[in-house]
Amino acid sequence: MLRNRLLTALSLVIVLVMALSACGPSAPPGQVPPRQAGKGGYLDEIDVSVVDKDSAISQIQAGTINLYSFNMASTDFPAIKDSGLSYTSSYGGNYDIMLNPAKFKDTTVLNPFSDRKIREAMNWLIDRNYVNQEIYAGGSLPKFFAITTQLVDYTGVVDVARELEAKYAYNLDKAKQVITAEMTTLGATAGSDGKFQFNGKPVSLIFVIRSDGDGTRKPMGDYVANQLESVGFTVDRQYKKASEASPIWIGSDPVDGKWNMYTAGWLNSGLTRDEKNAFQQMYLPSSQQGLSVFLANEPDPEFQKVGDDLANSAFKTLDERRELMKEAMRLSMEDSIQVWVIEQKSYSPYQNNLTVTYDLGSGIEAAAMYPYNLRFNDKEGGVMKIGTNDLFTEPWNTIGGSNWIWDTAVMRMTTQGSDIAAAGGIMADPYTGLAWPQRIDKAEVTVQTGLPVTNNLNWVTLKTADKIDVPADAWIDWDATAQKFITVGEKYPDGLTAKVKSVVTFPANIFDTKWHDGANLSVADFIMPTILFFDRANEKSPIYDESAVPYLESVKTYYKGFKITSTNPLTIEGYSDLYYSDAELNVGTSWPTSPLGLSGENSWDVLAISDMAEANGELAYTADKADAKKIEQMSWVGGPSLDILAKHLDEAIAAGTVPYAPTLGQYITADQAKARYNSLKAWYGVHGHFWIGTGPYYIDKVFLTEKTVTLKNNGWFTDASDRWAKFSAPKMASVELDGPANVKIGDKATFKVHVTYKGSPYAKADISQVKFLLYDATGAVLKVGEATATGDGEYEIVLDTDVTSKLVAGSDRIEVAVVPIPVAIPAFTSMDFVVGQ
Amino acid sequence: MAVTTQSPTGNIKVRESVFANSTFLRVARYTLVRLISLFITVVIGIYLTIWIANMGGYVDTIMKNAIRDNVNQAFAANPANRNVDPETRKKLIAETIALQEKRLGLDTPIALRNLTYLSDGLTLKLGRALNMTSDNGSKEVRLILLERLPATLLLMGSSQLLLFFASVYLALSLSRRYGGFWDKLVITLSPTSAAPPWFYGIFLILIFAAIFRILPFGGMVDSPPPDNPLGFGLNILKHLILPASSLVISSFFLSIYNWRTFFLIYSSEDYVEMAKAKGLPARDIESRYILRPTLPTIITNFALTLIGLWGGAIITETVFLWPGLGRTLYTAIGLYDTPVIVGSTIVYAYLLAITVFLLDFIYALVDPRVKVGSGN
Repeated sequence: MLRNRLLTALSLVIVLVMALSACGPSAPPGQVPPRQAGKGGYLDEIDVSVVDKDSAISQIQAGTINLYSFNMASTDFPAIKDSGLSYTSSYGGNYDIMLNPAKFKDTTVLNPFSDRKIREAMNWLIDRNYVNQEIYAGGSLPKFFAITTQLVDYTGVVDVARELEAKYAYNLDKAKQVITAEMTTLGATAGSDGKFQFNGKPVSLIFVIRSDGDGTRKPMGDYVANQLESVGFTVDRQYKKASEASPIWIGSDPVDGKWNMYTAGWLNSGLTRDEKNAFQQMYLPSSQQGLSVFLANEPDPEFQKVGDDLANSAFKTLDERRELMKEAMRLSMEDSIQVWVIEQKSYSPYQNNLTVTYDLGSGIEAAAMYPYNLRFNDKEGGVMKIGTNDLFTEPWNTIGGSNWIWDTAVMRMTTQGSDIAAAGGIMADPYTGLAWPQRIDKAEVTVQTGLPVTNNLNWVTLKTADKIDVPADAWIDWDATAQKFITVGEKYPDGLTAKVKSVVTFPANIFDTKWHDGANLSVADFIMPTILFFDRANEKSPIYDESAVPYLESVKTYYKGFKITSTNPLTIEGYSDLYYSDAELNVGTSWPTSPLGLSGENSWDVLAISDMAEANGELAYTADKADAKKIEQMSWVGGPSLDILAKHLDEAIAAGTVPYAPTLGQYITADQAKARYNSLKAWYGVHGHFWIGTGPYYIDKVFLTEKTVTLKNNGWFTDASDRWAKFSAPKMASVELDGPANVKIGDKATFKVHVTYKGSPYAKADISQVKFLLYDATGAVLKVGEATATGDGEYEIVLDTDVTSKLVAGSDRIEVAVVPIPVAIPAFTSMDFVVGQ
Repeated sequence: MAVTTQSPTGNIKVRESVFANSTFLRVARYTLVRLISLFITVVIGIYLTIWIANMGGYVDTIMKNAIRDNVNQAFAANPANRNVDPETRKKLIAETIALQEKRLGLDTPIALRNLTYLSDGLTLKLGRALNMTSDNGSKEVRLILLERLPATLLLMGSSQLLLFFASVYLALSLSRRYGGFWDKLVITLSPTSAAPPWFYGIFLILIFAAIFRILPFGGMVDSPPPDNPLGFGLNILKHLILPASSLVISSFFLSIYNWRTFFLIYSSEDYVEMAKAKGLPARDIESRYILRPTLPTIITNFALTLIGLWGGAIITETVFLWPGLGRTLYTAIGLYDTPVIVGSTIVYAYLLAITVFLLDFIYALVDPRVKVGSGN
């Protein structure tokens, strides 16, 4: 009897415990449950503050901060290395010498760079290795092409890249020879001092050299000026800040002859997998940048066609694309209105006991995965102190607010997934630029037959179809008066087709996901951002903003509609004419992130009260509208906006406001709306701001003038902490090459390639290919081939007798490029050998 | 005060009243002329500031090109624009550029904008910034400046007032010990003021933050700041020590040297020697015979020190990441944000004009030799 009672009691306890655990974490209104062991972000708290870059290393050593997340230039690299701290290494922009290609109006003045051969010769004039070693402390990479050196596209055409790099390696004599010959053809003569003269005057080059920024463009410009003077030019060095330089190189007509050369600089926009439009952008009159210098260029018609074909995706297969890229690279070196010099690397130092995930293309602050993997190696939890360059540079809202990288780095800590391809709910791979599913169950992408799209990861099903019809009931536009979507059937009665269709199915429990204020994610959260995207650009809307129109117009050129086909499970179809060659990037999730590519997530209730404030003429999402109306720009984290938003929140609670009721009324009732607003009000009462997301950390406190922000662990977030741990560090390959020091002409020669990661063999399955290039003593490429795998990390290169019989006596070189799959950066090594009889 | 008297003829005359009226008229006339001349000076000063800030209109060219560059690059970088045909592209870029130019007022002639800046400035309608926002997200120049004012007053006020009073006190003391050890020491150390405050700041950071780790590297509070007000206040004071010290140290010896030299001139006057010969106590000599005749100069310096607090300390604030007005002004200059530059200047100009105006009256109060509007 007693035993039975005990068993019954025990069973009840077990059931109770199970029931309680099924309920998940809980917290009072406005509060967030504390971190659960093994769940969510690794840390208890993150404190981000502004730290002077010059003291960052000292502050890390002193323990004031654990990590400096903003990128430091390669000129800081020696100090970082000497400090003994760990550091990240990523791409950080590039520098080049831009040449004015125009023939000047004043025909008595000769512009040597109107001659393509002289522009091409500039490549031999500049010793990029010298610039890298002397000015960039060896921490950057010599750059020859518009595409990013040693990244995805470069790797695909590495054989041609290396061949051209060898061809255009520093050769002052050759530069002088070509330049002298061409200058003579152009009518210049050599004066008594050996300098070029034209019409009895020295040929003087106006060189606009930037003296601001990181300070490296000045010595780089001086070096190039010295080189030019050494071959007979007179150089007028004009040191200018950006603001002083732009009226000259951007603002003047190139034919006016106000400049000949400029030390240009360009920023990287992250780990870009697709750079096929780089040649059009950086050389051709058809460049989307529309700068006068590109319009003044008269490129080889073949280059124009190749560049345009690439940019317009006028190819059917990836092989065709690759061939076009190779051709474009060759022709771009001959054109050279931009002579690329340096691919800058950036570095961020951190304490040795941390794990820091970063984007190979752009560093820590651009990496969506960074907050997920950030941790102390020796413990779970703890407080991480991070320094950065600035904070709260502009007001924060997800429609027209701050897009400064230091601000977005904090915003990303509060969100799920990334804004890769403008779709949240998926996670950007920081080492390949591909995407992984974070909140979606499955995805299917259908592309029109013939489009060069491939899938790399098996979570996306890729299909092709000869014709993709957009369903008549898909939503494609917005009626601001009726507050309803316009369907494809209404707008296009004759039907509409698209090039790409994406179908995303979310897990059944997607609506158990909680916003930081404790409210559950809802279908309305998925729809509201899209409504705003259309509504704000519609003149009939009370929140019309004329600055929203141009972007909508450009999106309309490819946007073909979306449709919610099911709410249980949530399934969303998207249709578009815009496509990416990687299938994963074509997945359109409609996750409630900014429809404008800004960071942060959009809960419909925050947007609703923000709309009320904007419609009432008190606040504006964008700086443009705020300035036009002479009102404050909306900030969800502080300032005068908060009181206004709080007032509208009270009104919304009282009225049970359902925004865009004719549409969202199908998904939200007035009571649900009130409950949602009340959650937000409780949140505001505790935390004093309206910035909420669903990500692993929430913003606890904001100190705007003090420029510091405190984030705490979001106990609602229940993913395993180690979900993305395999991406903690880039799996960079190391490669060694063994082989004979002497190769006899006509004899077979075998070279062994060893590929490792942290001393262990690199898995064969993780290596895409191992290419080799054979150079002769002059640097000309004799053969390009692929090594054969003989085991994990082991490859073999065999030079058969037919190859070695063509060698001539002398010193030759073999170079190997290993292309790994988990990271987009290849590994290179080479060895010299002697060829004899 | 007017006093009526009986004249021998029995007529009542208001002699004192006539005198009083003439004084009143003299002061009134002086006040009016002074105010007008100061106002004209302020107007000219502000208009020059506007022209300099605008570089005579060249800033428009700079800003228009920057807009064009930014819009073009943003348009090219956005994959959403890949499908846009060239004509539409040109149209959209032109629309966006026009919107940006309109937002910054570049569609209005520069002369008209300058007059608007001037009239708004003079009426203290500080208006909206072009590019800057306050830390709280506001574009109102008033809020941008006010937000940084407390930090600047704290840093500059504590350092400059300490510097002023300590210098005057020590200089007065040294002026009586001319040629002594401390006097020589101050003279020897006075060239140390050739180095600017930020130079000392870097050394102080190195010693007390990086090596001894007892004071913070910079900023105004810890991250995160303490929750309770007392802890918050003490935390600010901890962060104040190094920047304030660097400001004091950099000017300390030169300031003492200046004042000491100034006091020395008065210390060697005949009436001071006479007082010494009479055996008056040193404190009396200092306060009655040296300090009193030098009061106008001391007050002038003090008043100018007070209004000088408004400007902040640009580089020192930058080195210590102190969120003060100096950094705000520096940022505004870098961004060619004319309204913020004008706003900051107009406040300073008014403070200076008011100070100069009031000083004339204060001189008359503290020095019987001075008469307001006497023409001497």
